[in-house]
Amino acid sequence: MFFEISRLSAFLQRVIWFKGPPRGMQLLFTLYALMIALGSGFLGALLGLGGGVIMVPLMVFLLGIPIHIASGASIVAVVATSSAAASVYVRDEVTNMRLGMFLELATTLGALTGASFVAMAAESLLKTIFGLSLIYASTVMWYQLRNNRRSWVNKPNDWLAEKLSIGGSYYDEARGEQISYGVTRTLSTFGISYVAGIVSGLLGIGGGGVKVPAMNVVSSVPMKVAVATSNFMIGVTAAASALVYIRHGFCDGFVTAPVVLGTLVGSYIGARVTGRLRGMFLKRVFVVVLLLLGLRMIASGVGF
Amino acid sequence: MDRVRFLELLVSRLLRTGVLMSGLLMVIGLGLLWATGDASCPSGVLSVSWLLFGDPFLEPSHVLFLGFFILIGTPLLRIVASATAHLLERDLVFALLNVSVLLILAVSFVLGVG
Repeated sequence: MFFEISRLSAFLQRVIWFKGPPRGMQLLFTLYALMIALGSGFLGALLGLGGGVIMVPLMVFLLGIPIHIASGASIVAVVATSSAAASVYVRDEVTNMRLGMFLELATTLGALTGASFVAMAAESLLKTIFGLSLIYASTVMWYQLRNNRRSWVNKPNDWLAEKLSIGGSYYDEARGEQISYGVTRTLSTFGISYVAGIVSGLLGIGGGGVKVPAMNVVSSVPMKVAVATSNFMIGVTAAASALVYIRHGFCDGFVTAPVVLGTLVGSYIGARVTGRLRGMFLKRVFVVVLLLLGLRMIASGVGF
Repeated sequence: MDRVRFLELLVSRLLRTGVLMSGLLMVIGLGLLWATGDASCPSGVLSVSWLLFGDPFLEPSHVLFLGFFILIGTPLLRIVASATAHLLERDLVFALLNVSVLLILAVSFVLGVG
């Protein structure tokens, strides 16, 4: 019953809202999508955000694509950037692979839940949730700018972390020493990771914005390790969502292909430039940009 | 330890090849779509058999979807490799964790619904 209803609604949404770009405009449409993805991938790499957070609203507002299709394109692009990055850093010394593999169980389950819900969710609901998450991302970025150096205290492993031996250590280049750390409240972070997976599946974004604070604040994992470990998990999480999106026909070829290609190139260039550029000014700008995009998204979802 | 290191290098190479190959398929698929003006991307819930075998095989939109699939397959490779590595190191709990993640992905694909 559940399957039938969701499939029917997925079918209707696609037929009613999106029949692909009109015939004469395919080339132009593809080029626009490519440019949006290029810019978002570039900015995402500079800001340390996933490209999806910027890309999805731009596609919705500038190209008039339904959010289901925009998220479908974005989630495949997230897989692409994550795999491209992972091919360079399969083993860096910062990522806590054991913690990542444990939490991956929660994020993939969440992604499956979230992406399945997309087929049943109305455009307006998804837009509102996306808007809220943009405002959240803006707040987190603002908070980071204000508290640049948060004091971090090392704590011992809790029982679960001890059992799975997921505590670790890494070499901190800034401090010039090997720093070891324990993982606390592992089960809570496991639960939050499930929610992060839902957000990722629901909105077609990486969801690092939920996982990183969970690991850092709840489980007292050092910030650098939390960021690297979150990136490590994103590829598999996005793959689970992408499979569901594809099955529902939310991955339109004319949108998804240029978006994937554009994001790959954009984030590659962004990653090259980012060492030479201080992101502070850009971050300040994006605190405002993300906030405005979020409000606009909610307004559009509520029906203004 | 040596075998694990070998696996990591293999995965790194496979990831890069996978991303490049899927990118190439997407470029070719888009080119074919423009050239033929054929916008017949199937709509609604897609069948597993269409996704894998197409109708006909390698029509423009099917080339695109094969590109998507190879791309989505790349993180799977990493999991398969780490499951193997954990088995080699006799770390059964983590091997089991990796296998369960693979199972969840299989469910995502076959059912397309939670």
